Amino acid sequence: MKTIYTDALVIGGGLAGLRVAIGIRRRGHDVVVLSLVPPKRSHSAAAQGGMQASLGNSSMGQGDNEDVHFFDTVRGSDWGADQDVVRMFVNTAPKAVRELAAWGVPWNRVERGDHQSVIDGKNVTLTESEEAHGLITARNFGGTQKWRTSYVSDGTGHSMLYTMSNQAIAEDIPVHERMEAVALIHDGERCSGAVVRNLKTGELINYVAKSTCIATGGYGRLYRATTNAVINEGMGTAIALETGVAALGNMEAVQFHPTAIFPAGILVTEGCRGDGGLLLDVDGHRFMPDYEPGKKELASRDVVSRCMETHIASGKGVQSRFGEHLWLDIRLLGKKHIDTRLREVKEICNYFLGIEPADSLIPVRPAQHYSMGGVRTDFRGESPTLKGLFAAGESACWDMHGFNRLGGNSVAETVVAGMIVGEYMSDFLESSAGDITVSSALIRDAYNKQAKYMAGFGDRNRTENPLHIMREMQELMSANVAIFRNTERLSSAVEKLQQLAIRAQKISVRSSARGANPDLVAAYRVQKMIKLSLCVAQGALQREESRGAHFREDFPLRNDKDWLCRTLATWSEGATMPTLNYEPLHVNKMELPPGWRGYGVEDRVDHPDTAARQAEVDAVRAKFEGGDRFAAQEALMPYSDKLPEKLRRRNARLGEKGDTQ
Amino acid sequence: MSQNTKHEVSSLNTIPVKNVDGLRRLTINIFRHNPEDANSVPHMDSFVIEEADSMTLFIALNELRENQDPTLQFDFVCRAGICGSCAMLVNGRPTLACRTLTKDLPEVITLAPLPGFALIGDLSVDTGVWMRGMSERLQTWVHSQEERDFCEMEEKMEPELADKIYELERCIECGCCIAACGTAQMRPDFVGAVGINQLARFRLDPRDERTDADFYEVVGDENGVFGCMTLLGCDDMCPKSLPLAQQLAYMRRKMALAS
Amino acid sequence: MQSANKPIPVRSAHLNRWPAWMDMAQGATGLILVLFMWTHMFLVSSILLGKDAMYFVARLFEGEPMLGKPYPILVSLFAVFILTLIVVHAVLALRKFPNSASQYRTLHQHLGNLKHADSSLWYVQVLTGFALFFLASVHLYQLITHPADIGPYASSDRVWSGRVWPLYLILLFVVELHAGIGIYRLVIKWGLFLGDNAKRNRKILHSIKWALTIFFIVLGLFTLGAYMKIGAEHADRVGERYVPSYHQTESNHQIQTDLQVESDADAESPASPH
Ligand SMILES: Cc1cc2nc3c(=O)[nH]c(=O)nc-3n(C[C@H](O)[C@H](O)[C@H](O)COP(=O)(O)OP(=O)(O)OC[C@H]3O[C@@H](n4cnc5c(N)ncnc54)[C@H](O)[C@@H]3O)c2cc1C
Ligand code: HEM
Ligand code: SF4
Ligand code: SF4
Ligand code: FES
Repeated sequence: MKTIYTDALVIGGGLAGLRVAIGIRRRGHDVVVLSLVPPKRSHSAAAQGGMQASLGNSSMGQGDNEDVHFFDTVRGSDWGADQDVVRMFVNTAPKAVRELAAWGVPWNRVERGDHQSVIDGKNVTLTESEEAHGLITARNFGGTQKWRTSYVSDGTGHSMLYTMSNQAIAEDIPVHERMEAVALIHDGERCSGAVVRNLKTGELINYVAKSTCIATGGYGRLYRATTNAVINEGMGTAIALETGVAALGNMEAVQFHPTAIFPAGILVTEGCRGDGGLLLDVDGHRFMPDYEPGKKELASRDVVSRCMETHIASGKGVQSRFGEHLWLDIRLLGKKHIDTRLREVKEICNYFLGIEPADSLIPVRPAQHYSMGGVRTDFRGESPTLKGLFAAGESACWDMHGFNRLGGNSVAETVVAGMIVGEYMSDFLESSAGDITVSSALIRDAYNKQAKYMAGFGDRNRTENPLHIMREMQELMSANVAIFRNTERLSSAVEKLQQLAIRAQKISVRSSARGANPDLVAAYRVQKMIKLSLCVAQGALQREESRGAHFREDFPLRNDKDWLCRTLATWSEGATMPTLNYEPLHVNKMELPPGWRGYGVEDRVDHPDTAARQAEVDAVRAKFEGGDRFAAQEALMPYSDKLPEKLRRRNARLGEKGDTQ
Repeated sequence: MSQNTKHEVSSLNTIPVKNVDGLRRLTINIFRHNPEDANSVPHMDSFVIEEADSMTLFIALNELRENQDPTLQFDFVCRAGICGSCAMLVNGRPTLACRTLTKDLPEVITLAPLPGFALIGDLSVDTGVWMRGMSERLQTWVHSQEERDFCEMEEKMEPELADKIYELERCIECGCCIAACGTAQMRPDFVGAVGINQLARFRLDPRDERTDADFYEVVGDENGVFGCMTLLGCDDMCPKSLPLAQQLAYMRRKMALAS
Repeated sequence: MQSANKPIPVRSAHLNRWPAWMDMAQGATGLILVLFMWTHMFLVSSILLGKDAMYFVARLFEGEPMLGKPYPILVSLFAVFILTLIVVHAVLALRKFPNSASQYRTLHQHLGNLKHADSSLWYVQVLTGFALFFLASVHLYQLITHPADIGPYASSDRVWSGRVWPLYLILLFVVELHAGIGIYRLVIKWGLFLGDNAKRNRKILHSIKWALTIFFIVLGLFTLGAYMKIGAEHADRVGERYVPSYHQTESNHQIQTDLQVESDADAESPASPH
């Protein structure tokens, strides 16, 4: 039994995990990063479109600031987000972009003078100022009032992850690749590391740590049609769930992206529409203005995806051998724009569809894309129920996305969360809370339990093929727990998932050879994935309202009166279903009280406190009208003491001075 | 926008599959070896599979694992040609398997792991550890002593320069250039086009304060630029079509001048 | 917090300049050799314009027009110079040869798998280089020891009656292949003419390379053919030296000198059959 000791264990080598590790390292602690794959292959690399931060450098971004970004994000979340966390986020995002700029990300820059652009299907000329020349530019994304998404062509995530990973190498941070955390070591109160399986040799190893951070990304592979990488199976989220102590938040909040190429499910970025691309139906008709006269193609993702599915259901889809789809038209952007700003999109179209997007339409249909839910933490990134366990990035639910995430807010979140959680984990390590005394019995038991569990799959009486069960689960989720949900489909999904869980007990692994053993990997993962699927399906079934990406045909309105709360799922050992609890969101503390998002359905059931809070907010705003926006914010919802000190200062912009040190 | 606007769809493309009728039976020969298993000897296994519409090697290999041999090892992550996990030799040539359509291949397909990297099992090789070693050796990060305050405006950069840097940064560390390079195959310490290109990227970047003499220190030898024999397998087989020939020449010139 | 980066590592005081210099020397010697080879080919092919032309060129290189009389020692010296270049070049190039059986095996397997034109061309260069080391040395040794044996008849006799034409035939192919590939790779190695569409320009360079190789091989074949023809016709008069037509009409004195020189150089015997 091999055991490795470290101050901090970071499970996940994507943007979030690496930034957490760099923060901890810079505070002088030992840190080890684990990753299923070489860190530069983490799914963060797939982010194409960009990263939101209110720099306001480009002409279409002028007037942008933290406040506007805050409003957009909260509206996007359909008021599901924790507004303190959103505030922390919008104040840190510009710092994150600038830090990455200093570390080497080749952000696209503003170029002075006139430029041709396409807005709302029309050619327009945009003029950039001399003063902004050479600063970081931005493109348009859905659900935002300003052009705010910083980008590197359409390889933003790639550039960010390479820069981050290189920075981690510069800091000498060990990354143990092809290592999979299969269980957390804990005693019911305190987490002290993880049992880890070496995916090259099959060996089990204990990593004992004073603090552990889960940064394992999303759980998109619960679905058959998804833009996510094949490693996004939610394993980090699942091992937190299996502690029985840590809770998962809002697992039913699953985002579907409007433009996944059909049928492969590979994403083409929202930047296509942000840059002026249109959605067309079988007749070549641009249908989005019919549904969303305001934001059209650039309403938030949940809204656009629903419109697309509705439009297909109305008989306007394009028939093909694989089923129905719609068209994405980026021909109007021109070859030059596509060749320079949408290169990955072009390559994907060339290789997977055999078409040239400058001349042909792209077949698209919504597919699962993002997991808003994850390991529930406080604003520090720490689990409120399991001490020493932190989480950051897509796998976490500190809750800045609520029920729908805006495009470009996720890679921004990963880095921002990394900056914040890295500091709080370091504080934790430096405080008495960070001390641990782990008994060797605890470690041994955790290890033996996993060893025995893995060996169990070799039992002769077992017959099920793990990969077949996985496929059935994915198809079930895609069919019944997707964009349009209702009682009937959800309860049948829960029932069938439970049956699958029983069958999964009989999974057999046919090879016992040493080494990675992909069959065994699939076996233990699918059992965990079914648990996560049940959290999603059961959460969706119980939430009898529609909010953000969670849409119930039988409860089509947002219901703040009964459902302005966060779902918390836990799983007791030996249980067959998750336990669901609800944590309320407090209207009377909100800087932006619940209202209409500006797109989507306007009707809703209001919370009884909303009107009073709105009046309060209006009064404060009136008082500060035309004055200091920071003072107004402070009066409405003070949050800055929640940020680590070094991240509190104000951001400089063209025409707005920042706090210097 | 008027609701009646019709957009030109005359060039409507149908989902392109040429082999809709007449689907073939493919024979896939796969290199097999599990170095962890003392009883395993390297050999080729042959599988037969029904071709499907739009089938990629990603789909084909997963189907084989699902229905024919659960022990088959291979690596896919993004399955969209952007992460560099799935490079392997397809009929002798290194390429990304996930974006290789079977319809572009003959009926008999031979798959082998990328040469030049440690074998993990079957088609899976350890490019990650190799690349980390390369990064540490060549110090592929921005070296700067300037302390920038990130509450202040970012440093300006010419838009064109940013584009140029990105052009070189598109490398996905797939390892195809190492597998396609005779030099790297013969001399395991050679940093290859991937390494030299990455240094060229940092040399171009004004944020990196290193001088040519600094770069010479890490790449000015037989394991670096002067080891490259200009076979250009790298340039011809890089799946991201990086301008490797130019970068190799550029670094050779700069390093020669620095000497 | 500030976004400080890792400091620049301290550099050791002295750069090791050898790798750069050896690389440049290898390229430079290669380049000079290729340019020389091509010039040499044009000069030798002067036979196609007639015996007089060839005779004139030969004397030219013995310095006659400048020095008033031919000094074959110049030819020897030049040959020594070229041989030195070849030795330097070959020693440097030797570093690039596969240096063990396992490297050869790896390389063969690699080339077999890859079926990649430029990689295979490099292997051709290794093989031709290896062959050149012997072929060119033999040829040059002979020139150094018999520098005056250059002339329409002397050379033709050597080719035909001295039976060295098979050597020349092989040498021709080997050297032209080696030179063509070498110059192509040299150009790309240092990034000349790649412009901003390197892929397309490389294709063009590739075609130019083949055109040059073929041109010189064809020229070489004609030239060799010409020497063989003259050699065959002259087989019964081996050892006789050519007297250019313009000398035959000029004063006796000059013919005298000419003969004088040839005997000085002890060139009466037939070419040694190397
Ligand atoms: C196709 C696509 C495009 C996107 N485009 C954008 C965009 O333009 N803008 C935007 O803001 N967002 C975008 N997103 C979302 C965004 O990319 C992700 O949410 C974000 O990158 C997640 O980062 P992360 O660090 O949390 O996780 P990841 O980058 O997914 O990293 C997870 C890490 O955890 C490791 N890991 C997982 N499980 C285990 C385990 N059990 N043991 C050990 N290690 C483990 C993995 O190896 C990996 O290193 C996109 C997402 C997709 C799928
Ligand atoms: C006589 C022995 C010779 C040997 C053993 C030899 C061998 C080689 C080898 C192995 C290379 C490849 C080196 C590399 O890839 O870096 C090479 C390159 C080259 N050779 Fe030769 N060669 C010889 C003679 C010649 C001659 C006579 C010429 C001229 C016609 C010539 C011209 C070149 C050129 C131009 C190059 C390319 C240089 C470079 O890539 O830097 N070589 N030689
Ligand atoms: S340079 Fe090209 S072939 Fe080499 S690792 Fe990078 S992307 Fe792959
Ligand atoms: S040019 Fe040739 S030797 Fe140089 S890196 Fe590329 S393949 Fe290798
Ligand atoms: S799986 Fe990512 S490139 Fe093929």
